[in-house]
Formats: sequence, structure tokens, C-alpha cells
Amino acid sequence: MKKLTQTIILAALALGAPCTQAVTINKSLCVGSLSKTLYGSSSTGKSVTFWGYSDCGGGGRMGGMGGTATVPGPIMEIGVNDTLNINFSPMGMMTMESAPYNGHTIHLHGADVQTMEDGVPETNGNMVMGDTYTWTPQVGHEGSYMYHCHVHTVKHLEMGMYSAIIVRPRDSNGAFLNRLNFDIATAYDYSQNYILSTVDPAYHTATGDSPVFADYNPSYFLITGKEGRTTSAPAMTLAAMRSKKVAFRLVGLHSTNASFEIKNSSGVLQPFTVYIRDGRALPVAKTVTSLELSPGQRADVIATLPSTSGTWYPQVTYKKLRANADGTYPAYATAYGKVTF
Amino acid sequence: MLKKIGLYVLLLIAQNGAEAAVRNFALHIDNGNLTITGTGGTTLSVWGYGESAGLPTVPAPTLTVNEGDTVNVTVYNHRNALHNFVIKNVTTDATAIAANNGSKTYSFTAPAAGTYVYSDTLNTAINREMGLYGAFIVRPADDSNSAWTGGPYYDHEKVWVVSEMDKPRWNDVASTGGTVATATYKPNYFMINGMGGFDAMMDNNTMIMGTLGQETLVRIVNAGQFSHSLHFHGNHFQVLSINGVRQPLPFEEWDTINIPPMSTAEVIYAINQTGDYPMHVHTAQAEGANGVYLNGAATMIMMH
Repeated sequence: MKKLTQTIILAALALGAPCTQAVTINKSLCVGSLSKTLYGSSSTGKSVTFWGYSDCGGGGRMGGMGGTATVPGPIMEIGVNDTLNINFSPMGMMTMESAPYNGHTIHLHGADVQTMEDGVPETNGNMVMGDTYTWTPQVGHEGSYMYHCHVHTVKHLEMGMYSAIIVRPRDSNGAFLNRLNFDIATAYDYSQNYILSTVDPAYHTATGDSPVFADYNPSYFLITGKEGRTTSAPAMTLAAMRSKKVAFRLVGLHSTNASFEIKNSSGVLQPFTVYIRDGRALPVAKTVTSLELSPGQRADVIATLPSTSGTWYPQVTYKKLRANADGTYPAYATAYGKVTF
Repeated sequence: MLKKIGLYVLLLIAQNGAEAAVRNFALHIDNGNLTITGTGGTTLSVWGYGESAGLPTVPAPTLTVNEGDTVNVTVYNHRNALHNFVIKNVTTDATAIAANNGSKTYSFTAPAAGTYVYSDTLNTAINREMGLYGAFIVRPADDSNSAWTGGPYYDHEKVWVVSEMDKPRWNDVASTGGTVATATYKPNYFMINGMGGFDAMMDNNTMIMGTLGQETLVRIVNAGQFSHSLHFHGNHFQVLSINGVRQPLPFEEWDTINIPPMSTAEVIYAINQTGDYPMHVHTAQAEGANGVYLNGAATMIMMH
């Protein structure tokens, strides 16, 4: 009964929101291997093997070309009330781990879908040899989500089987609105996806229930698959107009503590406003100069660029899980982005 | 009939009288063992607080009182080392209880309704890491199923004490009288309520269970030294309080919450669909027992 009431309320909310044209979005994902040369604090690169999702819309299901796997995998943008169907074919290549960790799934993290769509092999109805995953986000669920493999997550997520799903509002013609949600206060001019992740190469070579997985020692720190070790070699770049608004979609697929900050070229922290966390609008938006983002969390934030030209460095500082005696956390490293205006 | 009514009246008086109740607890500090069952499991040497002498538990017994109660906790130290008992943000006496059967009574008035963590704060973090920690719960004075007087109502209540232990470098060393090199801490066991995931995913006192529309208050205590980022499948939860700070209405809704060491949080999880879902720490190594997947900090959400 309560659910019915909820549905009616949600329906009423939907009526109150701009009339949107929902569409069905069909995606086909496959899995592949790739390698990246990473540097961390070393000047010598190290080749690390990853597994990634690929867009194989061309027909990977029957063993055809599986597309090119990437880390992160394809970022999907869908509209509120759209229906996302992901046709997932993990078997285009050899089994990557032995039983019981063979196969792969897609967990729609934060989507709160039915158990059989949740991609968790330990619960009922989730296939590891290929499946379809369906999700229809409702009004009020705009924001950033993530998807990742939920088979032997400690290994498969670390291997790179992750990416973001962005749920966006649509206007009456069905076009995406450049807002975080239907609230006009969340309008932006530019949007960037900052997908946080960390890499411990030992996890990339260990398999099964290895004691290696009891000790996480990341040495590479990524934003959307790139290192961005210095401000002069940023992982993300944006050339924008002055006084415009930039949305940052922060997606926490890392395995350490992390904080997001924006500094100008003088190193001064710049304020930004958090409107959405974990795909739910905050009742009161918060303007801050630093935001902690723990593994699994997401945040949708907006910063307004100054009226005079300059450079900003949005940055993610990855920190250890164990606190110092004073409650602070030692930093591993900082990964940088760059915005010029 | 009259007799029955009289009984009800007496019961009501007794219930209202709970506001001024005196609550006496005894805790005994002893050496013990904590067994993590299932693949990857082990038996850890621990030091714990227990309700009875010689029977320590990890985590320590949950002490539950009502706001305004007079609380007396007598702690007996049966070990041959110094220990103490401090409820963070509640008690302040951190001096040691004498070794070899010394005891001390801590008396205080139960503070604002909420979730607190108690531990032994001596010996750097070693005494705590060895298992001397537990949850202290203050329910509202009227003992209603609300997080605090006038606060949100709930149907069910769970306490999750999250922690971790470094067996080779801390427990094995401290339990045999060695010196723990505290600068290095690489915990290989991660627990909720002293259980690995294989037990906690079947434990009625840990799992969230309910029928459509029911709400569970989850009191989360991180007694470990690592931050723990808890991700709930199936639904978002409302964030009621963080480290004792009650959040303004309407509550924010998240699906992942970070609990720093020695802090607490209270969330309400509502059953809004049917199904079985995991709740697990989203940090790589915290999901396992010495690397064995899912025997770490995880439990289940059963929605029927």
C-alpha cells in the first residue's frame, strides 16, 4: 500500500516536472583486456594489465568483434524515465578467472534495481555468463551512478571493470537539459566526469582467494583512467569561457580515502556547490572548498568560473584508510585536472 | 479484571519510571579467542570485555540505557596489564584499572539519545585493536522506537560494530607478550559484530530484515583504525546522525556512507521492494578474510 502511495506521489512529481519524452536506450557491452603504462611516483613506466568493458553494439554477443575495451568503460548518459537495457556478453574471450570467480556481471551501483538486475552472483537470478540489465530511473534520481562487475569484486573492480552512468533531465522535446536535475539552480555550461580509481599492480596479477587481496597498496592514482600526476600533465582538461559554470561528476570507484578540491594557479581553494550525492538531490545544497568522497560514493557539483581569465586545477588527493593520531589521513598522491578560461 | 488493569498501571508507571532508572553493568577484561569461521577464517587471540569473568567477547557487550538514566559500569581487569574503559564523548576518566583483578566503577548520567563507542584507550591503539571495544546505546527517555525524542520512528534496530584486525603483526605479537610495531598496520580480517561475512550474512542480529514499508535504524560504530565505506544495495538510506550530530530535516539520502575510525553514524533503511541484497564495505581488501572474498565486512538485506 505504501508502495502504491509512493508511486502516486512520484507520478504527481513527474507531472510537476517538465514533460519529458522517455526513450529506450539499448547498449551492448562486452569485456576485453588491455594494458596501460603507469608511472606513479616513478620516472619509469610499468605496464599493468586491465580488464575493461567495451561497447560491442556491432554484435559481440555471438563472438564477433567485441569492441575495444577501455578503463573506465563506456560512460552512459540516460534521461530520467528512460529505460536503459544493457545487453551484456562477457564470453567473447577466454575466462579470466577460474570458478567460482569465472564470468562477469554488471552491478548498477546506486540504481536500487530488483535483485535479478543487481548483478550480484551470490543473490538469486544473476548470471555470470551474460545477461541483460534494465533500469528506469525516476524523476528525483538525476545524478551520477556507476556500474561495475560484482564477481569477485575485490579483483574485478580493481582490474578496471567499471564506469559511470549519468542520469540527466530532458526537456519537453526530449533533449538533455544542461542541468544536474530539473532545478534551474543546477544549470551548467560544461560538464566533466571525474571517475576516481586507484591501482595496486599486485591485485592485477593475483587471482582467486589470495592473501594478496588482504593488503591494498595502491601505487597509481587515476582520474577517468589517466594519471594526471602534475598540473602540467593533467588527467582532464577543459577550455571554457569565463564566468561560466562547470559541473563535475565525481564517481568514487577508488579503494582509498579521497578528497576533491579546486585550486587556482596561486594554490587558493575555490568554492564549489554540491547539489546531488549518490543520485539524490541534497535538501540544501552545500557550498564547500573540499569534499571527501569515499569508495562507492558519487557527488554532482558545480563551480562558477571567475570573470577574469586564468587556470584552475580541480584535483583529487588520494589518502590512506588509516588515520594519524590527530585524525588526519596521510596522502598517497594527488591527481590533477585543468580548466583554462 | 481490576487486577489486570492494576498491572497495566503498574507497568506504565514502571515504564515512565525508566527515565530515572539506575542501570548497573559489569564488564570483565580477559584474554580470549575470536574465531572467524568459513574459508579464510582463523582464530585470533584477543583481549575483550565480557559480561562474565573469563568469557570475553569481541565486540564487547552492547550496553543499552535510556536517556537520563544513572549508569554504573564496573570494569574488572583480570589481565596482568593496565586497561581502561572510556565511552567516547561520554566519560572522561581514562586512568588505568589496576592489573590482576583491579576494578573501577564509572558512574554517569546517560547523555543524549544516540550511538556511542567505548574502548580501552591505553597502549597506543593496541588494546583496542586486540578487541577491547563495543557500542553504547542511549535510547530516548520514553523508550520509544525513535532515534531520539521527537526523532524519526523505526520498526527494527540493528547495531553494527565494524572493526578489523592485523593477525600476524598485532594479535599474534601482542598476545604473546611481544612489542607491536604500531607504525605498520595491515589488517587482514574485517568484521561486522566480530563476524566475517560468511557468518554476518546469516546472522539475525546483524542482517536488515523486514517487510514492505518497514524501516530499520542501523547504528554503525567503527571501532577499527581504518575508514570504512559501507555500501547498501537495494535502496538508499536516510542519514540521521553523524558522530552524534543530528542532521537537519529532511535527511539526506545516500547509498554509501564513510565511517571514520572511532566514529558513529545512524541511518534508516526502508524496505521499499522485495529481494535479497548485500551490504558491504566498498574498499577492496575489507571485503575479505585474509583475502577470501565476501568473508569480510559484509551482511545481507532481506526484504520480503
